[in-house]
Amino acid sequence: MGNWGFVGLAYGLASVALFSYLLLLKGRLRGAQEELAALERDSGRRTR
Amino acid sequence: MEERTVVASAQWASEHGRVGAGASLAAKVLGAAAALVLAAGLYLGLVVVPPDAVQGDVQRIMYLHVPSIVTAYVAFFVVFCTSVLYLWKRDLRFDAVAVASAEIGVVLTGITLATGSIWGKSTWGVWWTWDARLTLTAILFTIYVGYLMLRSFAEDPRAGARYGAVLAILGFLDIPLNHFAVYWWRTLHQPSSIIRPGGPSVASTMLVPLGINFAGLVLLSIYLLLERVRLERIRHRTIEVRLKRGRRG
Amino acid sequence: MSTRAEGMVAGVLRRTWAMTWKDVTVELRARERINAMLFFAALVLFIFNFALGPDQEKLREVAPGLLWLAFLFTGMLGLGRSFQAERENECFEELLLTPGDRESIYFGKLAGNVLFMVTAEALILPLFGILYNLDIWGLLPSLALVAFLGTVGFSAIGTLLAAMTAHLRAREVMLPLLLFPLTVPVILGSVRATATILAGGGLGEVSHWLKLLGGFDVIFLVVCPLVFEFVLEE
Repeated sequence: MGNWGFVGLAYGLASVALFSYLLLLKGRLRGAQEELAALERDSGRRTR
Repeated sequence: MEERTVVASAQWASEHGRVGAGASLAAKVLGAAAALVLAAGLYLGLVVVPPDAVQGDVQRIMYLHVPSIVTAYVAFFVVFCTSVLYLWKRDLRFDAVAVASAEIGVVLTGITLATGSIWGKSTWGVWWTWDARLTLTAILFTIYVGYLMLRSFAEDPRAGARYGAVLAILGFLDIPLNHFAVYWWRTLHQPSSIIRPGGPSVASTMLVPLGINFAGLVLLSIYLLLERVRLERIRHRTIEVRLKRGRRG
Repeated sequence: MSTRAEGMVAGVLRRTWAMTWKDVTVELRARERINAMLFFAALVLFIFNFALGPDQEKLREVAPGLLWLAFLFTGMLGLGRSFQAERENECFEELLLTPGDRESIYFGKLAGNVLFMVTAEALILPLFGILYNLDIWGLLPSLALVAFLGTVGFSAIGTLLAAMTAHLRAREVMLPLLLFPLTVPVILGSVRATATILAGGGLGEVSHWLKLLGGFDVIFLVVCPLVFEFVLEE
């Protein structure tokens, strides 16, 4: 692996790691928001 | 104790308007700023700065490796402070920042390990050496992965917060002791060239991309922190709503 | 010291001793823990001898590490069981109801754990000397000092973590996973000091390691009892 190969690998891995964490976080947020929304809709219905 | 934390959680989850809204303006601005700063740092480190006289272009990995670990240490310091504050005040907001900061710290430490290993392979020919820095980073990584696992394995999120806080305090106090132990055992890695009496022996042109990348990673970390804390808020609100439903039957 | 302060200190010591005595008497009756610890240590020492072959030089080089491997793994075994009785009989709530400070519970458990681990070490060390052909008798005081400092440090954090992981899922995995990274200073210090001593170096040569072990012990003997109450609350 050439010099720039190593550099590319390092920066590439780091970018992938950070992006993956961000994407996973966005996914978790979406899931949690949907769950909460569904729950609040349900509760709303029940009090009526 | 239970009542107090539930009330604190409810207050936090209900204030500041709808919990279901998207990322705050502050977060979005920070995210954009982080992207810009990191792009600048990337350009400087990879294109502008000349290659190292001895190591050649692989030395550029340093512009990622060093800011990464420094930011991780900052993140773990935040975990320590918020853990102490949580045990003292029992405000779940502190705990939310703690777990968020720990996650970010773990990601950054992982990046430090990977880039350190790659750098090592390119200069010494091996993927792993038991030199002081790599070993310490590996230990640090394990401690905070353990922190996250401990929290997730606790049956009750409040217990998880408590146990985590205790572990975070122990872990942070342990870091300097680990440093002494491992450094006395091994010194193959290049000596700390930046923080040494008599000024940095790193060329001043190298300090610029280091500083910029550090700033960029800090901005990115704060952005990720805000989003992760938002996730905690939504989760707490969900628990609160469930509890209310439970009471109504 | 005023009589009130004296009374408080006496109370703490009394409750600590009560806790330790309870654990010791329970153990003396069934001897479950010590037996398991000793058996495991012997197993470690034998198997490594098989693995490393008959080369005496090689064995001598790795001997200190092996000794501490045996010590630490048996220590871990003991720690893992130190709150087992409370967990199985659901006595945790009772522990909380007992009048008195949480520090006494911690120190009582700690004293018990150190006692068990030191007893195991005292039995493992001669076995080690015999199996690996090392003359340990002259070096006993130095080795004992290092072993004691290391054991106290390991158990200080170990007792706290044992209480914490007692209620957890996957507790058998969590205890070592959390304990070993945190006790790296103790492990490194103890192994390196033991190695130097076995190679003939005096206590003077290992003074920095002794200071590290001592410092570690002091720091965590102060911090762990302080945070122990947060581990026990329900």
